[in-house]
Amino acid sequence: MTTKSPVPLTTPTALPAPPGSDIALELCALHRSFRLKRGLFRAPGEIHAVNDVSLRIRKGETLGLVGESGCGKSTLAKMLLGLLPPSSGSVLVDGKEIDPRHRRALARRIQPIFQDPYSSLNPRRTVADIVGVPLRLHHVGTAAEQRQRVREMLDLVGMPERTHAQYPNQLSGGQRQRVAIARALVLRPDILICDEPTSALDVSVQAQILNLLLDLKAEFGLTYLFISHDLGVVEHLVDRVAVMYRGAIVELGTREQIFARPEHPYTRRLLASALTPEPGLGIPDIERATMA
Amino acid sequence: MTTPLLEVKNLRVDLPTERGMLHAVRGIDFHVNRGELLCLVGESGCGKSMTSLALMGLLPRKAVRTADHLRFDGSELQGLPERGMAALRGARMAMIFQEPMTSLNPSYTLGDQLCEALRAHRKVSMAQARERAVYLLERAGVPQASDRMRQYPHQLSGGLRQRVMIAMALMCEPDLIIADEPTTALDVTIQAQILRLLRELQQEFGMAVVFITHDLGVVARIADRVAVMYAGEVIETAPVAELFARPTHPYTQGLLQCIPVRGKTLPGSRLQAIPGVVPSLVGTVQGCAFANRCTHVQAACAHTPPYVALNARHAARCVQAQSLAEAA
Repeated sequence: MTTKSPVPLTTPTALPAPPGSDIALELCALHRSFRLKRGLFRAPGEIHAVNDVSLRIRKGETLGLVGESGCGKSTLAKMLLGLLPPSSGSVLVDGKEIDPRHRRALARRIQPIFQDPYSSLNPRRTVADIVGVPLRLHHVGTAAEQRQRVREMLDLVGMPERTHAQYPNQLSGGQRQRVAIARALVLRPDILICDEPTSALDVSVQAQILNLLLDLKAEFGLTYLFISHDLGVVEHLVDRVAVMYRGAIVELGTREQIFARPEHPYTRRLLASALTPEPGLGIPDIERATMA
Repeated sequence: MTTPLLEVKNLRVDLPTERGMLHAVRGIDFHVNRGELLCLVGESGCGKSMTSLALMGLLPRKAVRTADHLRFDGSELQGLPERGMAALRGARMAMIFQEPMTSLNPSYTLGDQLCEALRAHRKVSMAQARERAVYLLERAGVPQASDRMRQYPHQLSGGLRQRVMIAMALMCEPDLIIADEPTTALDVTIQAQILRLLRELQQEFGMAVVFITHDLGVVARIADRVAVMYAGEVIETAPVAELFARPTHPYTQGLLQCIPVRGKTLPGSRLQAIPGVVPSLVGTVQGCAFANRCTHVQAACAHTPPYVALNARHAARCVQAQSLAEAA
């Protein structure tokens, strides 16, 4: 991150960035609510899962989105992927508003990597088949070119040749996540939405996958939205951090700002409860830590 | 020297599978002293959960448990009939699982379940049982404890359910609690609160705890002593401060290096990953199970490595333990 952005990043705004700026992905006042039925005689309630979220992600940047379960992280990710229409607000890719009805156009630019690769890989298809699906859906190249591209992609994510004809149940958790990453990248998207990509993996495998994500970003100049509850991983990987609480972004800043000088009480609370592997520090008393 | 509360020698757990015999736990030794918190740490499939189920006598029906001994408070658990084990379980050794929703009965109130835990083992009146239940719920940080007694598990949040599980485990004042990943399903802020609670109650009631986790951050903050497991074996054991300061087994060293730590790991730098994957435990494992992923591998690793004592409390299962410890 050497180039300075001509548009402000730290103060989110509901107005889209001017065209031609270096903003890869922009969320303008994005809102999603769900109606709750509460029985016959009570008025239905409403949950604001994502409440007026505005964010800008610069090209080549990694933005971390942290927060606890139920804070709206995954609802936000679903809207970015066109899997869930927003109640109001808009998503802009490269300054152009995305119509969620045109999922296919969106998929060429934004691809997801989810937490559990097992449930997102078709168990009846081989590894090579799975990675080739996006190419077939989007009619990219001839069959031979598709096969070639799949081979290159699998090679890039470190899947040896002999695994290409295997099925997901024959792979380890780390290998499955590599396949999911290869599938996400095969259309050469600009933006990856990583929703807890290493939470289901063992730590020794997590390091392999994080290294891979770092390498791929350097190679393709990718932009990442990295959603995680693991603050250690977020601190390692991201340029900026957005802290989400009850559907809203409560704090946004550079990695240094958020980790060294958190301002919002909730950010402080999150940081205080992170258990770094340092014996002798004991288990934090969050109530006391956040009072200071 | 006092005798340990729990003493395990050469514990093995074998599970028949379609592909052959799975050796989930391959001859492990460890002990837990009274009032001590021992962390069993390892990655998925290392045998840590099977170990805990073996201790409680709760293994799957087809699993075979063998051991040289399995002594609890001086008496041998092996060969104990199921009735004898049932009398111990819940009364003198209690268990806390990862997902409280699956261990709480959805169709009974919390009060019923808490009181049952006590009345199954002790001759006390319902009123006395309720009094203890309310007291322990309060100690476990459950607000409005006496009202909660009438509630059902689904009416509580995940954090509250885990507090109820802790209260339930404490009903009979056990000597030993086995906690299997009790905070893995919880959010970080709740996790810190639950761990703190568990540690406080453990110290207050002087219980021993076997705490099973994969999270080295949790280990660092809660353990007195640590046993690191890999591929069904305990490969290193040490007091917590020593383990983190001087990890000796190459697997322990690798594990500690591959997590990013604030102030130590340069953000955005490549992490030290452990190459390869855990070996299959179906069939026999020849020599050191970690050899195929180890950077220090040598010819001697083809034979089963010895358990090398580095000092009275620190040991590692590696032929090069001595030289690695000196280098660390």
